[in-house]
Amino acid sequence: MPFGHFEKIQWLGIVFSLIIILSVIFLVRERLLKEKYSLIWLLIGLFVLVVSLFRGLLDAFSDFIGVYYPPSAFFSLLIAGAYLLLLNMSVSISNLKAKNKAVAQEFGLLKLRLEELEKEMVKSDKGNSQ
Amino acid sequence: MQRTAEYGASQERSSTLAVIPAYNEQHNIMQVIQEIQAVSPTVDILVVNDCSTDATSMQVRGAAGVKVVDLPCNLGIGGAMQTGFKYALAAEYDYVVQIDGDGQHVPREVAKLKQAMRESGCDMVIGSRFLDVESFRTTWCRRMGIKFFYLMFRALVHTRITDSTSGFRLYNRKSLALLAQYYSSDYPEPDAIVLLKKHGLKICEVGVEMRARENGISSITPLKSPYYMSKVILTILVSCARPRR
Repeated sequence: MPFGHFEKIQWLGIVFSLIIILSVIFLVRERLLKEKYSLIWLLIGLFVLVVSLFRGLLDAFSDFIGVYYPPSAFFSLLIAGAYLLLLNMSVSISNLKAKNKAVAQEFGLLKLRLEELEKEMVKSDKGNSQ
Repeated sequence: MQRTAEYGASQERSSTLAVIPAYNEQHNIMQVIQEIQAVSPTVDILVVNDCSTDATSMQVRGAAGVKVVDLPCNLGIGGAMQTGFKYALAAEYDYVVQIDGDGQHVPREVAKLKQAMRESGCDMVIGSRFLDVESFRTTWCRRMGIKFFYLMFRALVHTRITDSTSGFRLYNRKSLALLAQYYSSDYPEPDAIVLLKKHGLKICEVGVEMRARENGISSITPLKSPYYMSKVILTILVSCARPRR
């Protein structure tokens, strides 16, 4: 009976998941979060929402995978999700680092080139004025 | 060959660029530069200052005939060295010799690297501390480490390398073109060996004399060395598993 009587914890889950979902939507709208990264957060929010709305689902799932204590199954799933998310972040950081490195190198080389051009300009200015 | 490349439209130049990666080497770097210039006055020198917090850059700028790249943030030895490769490639140098800014590499020994490259036709020559062991007294523990890496490289890439982490190296155009593209930041030296071998380039070693560092401290302490070794091993294994690009 999904929409019958809700336990306190269910209300908590519903409120929490709505906060996640609405925050993500807000952040994407304000361009504070890339669409690319928003998807996984939305999925996590939806997962918490669905599990909170339909209590029987979690019981059935934990029964299916052989976990006797349904909240454990819930936590395991969330932890697995968090791991994937963290891995995703590490990949993004590595990617940023590589790009940052290339930019820093190019920046240093361009600065050297600028200095040399300036030196040459000063030299040719002197040559012209004499 | 016309040489008015992107970086450095200078007059006549040598075909070799000495790249000195430097991080906080204000006490050593000038001596290194003077020694290089004393041995071979014609060689061009590029110092890559890896965002030092001391007067490294200022000191070097005082020296005649030396170019300095100041990196805007610290990239580590790999990122700094790669900057040198990129410069050399754009300025169309035929050879790059890497000499560390801490003074442990002896510029006089560059001749040995060059001779080895001429004679063997290798694309990269490594100056090894351990090939002729006269100049290098070391601990048992360290010798075991060296032996281990020697066997590892022999098994993985079928090359006899005694000093895989030595940064005293001579590169030709072929190898520096590759390394300008791919050069890892953390343990670039052993990684580069695997990368070059995978691309069918030839590597050889020649025994050279090296000095104990005079100022500053080594980044590897006894406590950290197992940590260091396992990271290097991991780097090598991963680069072996990496597909050829």
